[in-house]
Amino acid sequence: MANSRPPRPAPDDAFPTSTSRLQAETEAVLLDHIPTQVQAETAQLPAKLNKSAHVQFLARNFIQGFPAKYTSQDASQPWLMFWTLQSFSVLQVGLDPGNKQRAIDTILTWQHPDGGFGGGPGQAAHLLASYASVCALSIAGGQGEKGGWDQIDRKKMYQFFMSLKQPDGSFLVAHHAEVDVRGIYCLLVTATLLDIITPELVEGTASFIASCQTYEGGFSSASQPYYSSEPYTPKSLLSSPRPPLGEAHGGYTFCALASWVMLQPFLDLSPRGISRDRPQINVKSLLRWLVQMQGSAAEIGGFRGRTNKLVDGCYSWWVGGAFSLLEALGVGASVIGPVPGDGEDSRASGRDTEPGEEGKDGENEHEWDDVDDSFFNREALQEYILYAGQHPTGGLRDKPPKNADAYHTMYCLSGLSSAQHRMFPSVERREQLQEAWKAPSPDDTLPGKIRKETFLNSLSWTEDESASKILGGEANRVNATHPVFNLTITHSEAIMSHFYGQTVPPRVRSST
Amino acid sequence: MAKPTKPLYSSLDEWVDVQPLEQYEKVNPLAPIFYTDEYKDATSYFRGIVKSGEMSPRVLDLTEHIIRLNPAHYTAWQYRYRTLMSIKAPLDVELKLMDELAVKYLKTYQVWHHRRLILTETRDPQRELAFVEESLREDTKNYHTWSHRQWVLSHFNDIDLWRGELDFLDTMFNQDIRNNSAWHHRFFVVFQSGVREGEEDRERVVRRELTFTKQNISFAPNNPSAWNYLRGVLEFNKLPFSTVTTFVFPYTQPTDPEAVDLVDLDNPPPSKQAELPCPAAIEFLADIYESEGGESLLKANQLWKSLADEHDTMRKRYWEYRIKESLQKGST
Repeated sequence: MANSRPPRPAPDDAFPTSTSRLQAETEAVLLDHIPTQVQAETAQLPAKLNKSAHVQFLARNFIQGFPAKYTSQDASQPWLMFWTLQSFSVLQVGLDPGNKQRAIDTILTWQHPDGGFGGGPGQAAHLLASYASVCALSIAGGQGEKGGWDQIDRKKMYQFFMSLKQPDGSFLVAHHAEVDVRGIYCLLVTATLLDIITPELVEGTASFIASCQTYEGGFSSASQPYYSSEPYTPKSLLSSPRPPLGEAHGGYTFCALASWVMLQPFLDLSPRGISRDRPQINVKSLLRWLVQMQGSAAEIGGFRGRTNKLVDGCYSWWVGGAFSLLEALGVGASVIGPVPGDGEDSRASGRDTEPGEEGKDGENEHEWDDVDDSFFNREALQEYILYAGQHPTGGLRDKPPKNADAYHTMYCLSGLSSAQHRMFPSVERREQLQEAWKAPSPDDTLPGKIRKETFLNSLSWTEDESASKILGGEANRVNATHPVFNLTITHSEAIMSHFYGQTVPPRVRSST
Repeated sequence: MAKPTKPLYSSLDEWVDVQPLEQYEKVNPLAPIFYTDEYKDATSYFRGIVKSGEMSPRVLDLTEHIIRLNPAHYTAWQYRYRTLMSIKAPLDVELKLMDELAVKYLKTYQVWHHRRLILTETRDPQRELAFVEESLREDTKNYHTWSHRQWVLSHFNDIDLWRGELDFLDTMFNQDIRNNSAWHHRFFVVFQSGVREGEEDRERVVRRELTFTKQNISFAPNNPSAWNYLRGVLEFNKLPFSTVTTFVFPYTQPTDPEAVDLVDLDNPPPSKQAELPCPAAIEFLADIYESEGGESLLKANQLWKSLADEHDTMRKRYWEYRIKESLQKGST
């Protein structure tokens, strides 16, 4: 990126509007954050992840408290906790036992007596708060009387989830609250981690997700159900019209796609899923939309969240992190490979498997060593985070000259992680998990099969260590994170093996 | 520290019967927030109210107070809604309050959802679209505001509500042809929410939309919103991209200084100041060639290569993937 020639600004075709003016202003600010040729040559390149400043920023809020302006997050206390704990995890920082226990005790005060977790003590249960609380417990907690995990009331959690379910397969985020795909993502992660996912719970949910895909390829917040108005018959959901409410958006797209990935066992196994009515999403237009969200060189390759909006560090994860998810649908790095040219055709034609089958197995990895086998520009995204995303006094942010905050710190760091590491669902790992699977008696019921598939799918995610790409050198390395849950693989394995009653075989090379 | 807007509840005689509840009683919490005394006091009384289950007019005052201090306090909203229903409070008064709060706290989920709950009860959306239009003046791309408008239209599904949408969109496009929210709204109105009176002739509708889009591309070709819409219209109506080859081609070429102004409604040429070639047009033309298959694949590959190496280098990996994918498809 370092270049003596400034990058080309976004063309406005001499037809300025408020969008193009704002874009030009933003590019002008970002330009100051691109290292010059001279800086690059004299190795003053600020491509350093200022880990200690970020840890201090996080620790200050965590131990001393958040300033009063965070009152706007009073109903998101589990998020402040999760963002902080997961930022520590990504930065490879562990918690001492005393603070771990305090974290567990704090989180448990948010559990609602009727199931689920709220945004703080005495607050109503909410899907988003439930996700953040359970993920925070995955990091800080453990089994046993004071560990937090066994104090989660899973039965009531399930009842709470069912009480939010709508006839179109969606869920309210809380009683009397809105429907959107963030809530569905949060519900599915929570149910997956805690082993409470059932066909009853997710019936109709995949169709709802599919209906949120817009003509642009990304997903919207929700869709509007229309019901038949035939008199004297029970109202039934129409497959059309079922319009998305709101345009394609990075955050919703991540949540929808991750939900879609989590729903695969259900779709693969249930009678509805294997019938001709199996809901579909358009992966091709989704991929196109995702790559279009990456900003130009003038935007230092950061991601935006909607067409014609500005880049923002948080989409490093919501959009940048979504590419790994495509691998679970058989669209991924392993099918890209080098462009066939001189002498490379034999390698390309040597793979006759379906995309996403054996192609992503470790066996074939040596074939792709010489290429940057990703759909997006991983290097440029790391530059955006390092040059523009870091606040000089610690913490990460949307873009300069904004302040750092807990939310952007977490999603910039997770985005950095997804740009550094390549995660893929490993067939090899899946087989190991399958061999180690323990069941008191073989369970061939549909819920039993879905349960097992969910476990195998979730934990087969593996880092392809040969494909790491760390801009600025090893000192900038952050931990890999689970593409669906946004937890480290270690934390994901620990909590899932606890609730599924499994022993996870050790990984040959640990990814965390 | 913000100046208190009200006296503390703990100092008021009329609240003496409520037992305030501390947030953290037995735990020394991690990651606490330094609240103002005013906020701490109000939320302690609110927790007391929730515990006792009281639903009364003073609960409306208390929840409004909390909402003004923190509009994202969804429990206060939820409890407020249940109280409104329980005491059968006048909902027109509530909606008036919401007019103020929605504009003030535009980016909060709860203000819009509460509005939706109230409208669902009153079933009177008559002034709603004008209100949304007003709010959009503050923030022309606000996600909640646009989704709210779409919900009002589709939920009430009243022909009188739908009637003005294209005119409304004209004013939005006149302000900013790059507003993607407006493009999405157009797709929602024209294609995704059923066919209404006057729009039954779908061929005519598609022609109208294509003309509209092409014209807007001609004013400002480097506008991804318009190209996405063009793709959307064709795909939704199962028309091949080659329907618009003649239109697209000039946009894939360098700016022609010799070009003369001509009026061609079917295939409006790029404006004189257009910065060409336009990557979105090159991508579009490559898609046309790819769908033709055979010899045309080579032409598609050349275009993708020009995007990868010159016109859209940030997406180099993606364009290379397209080349590879098309060759794999071509060989099977």
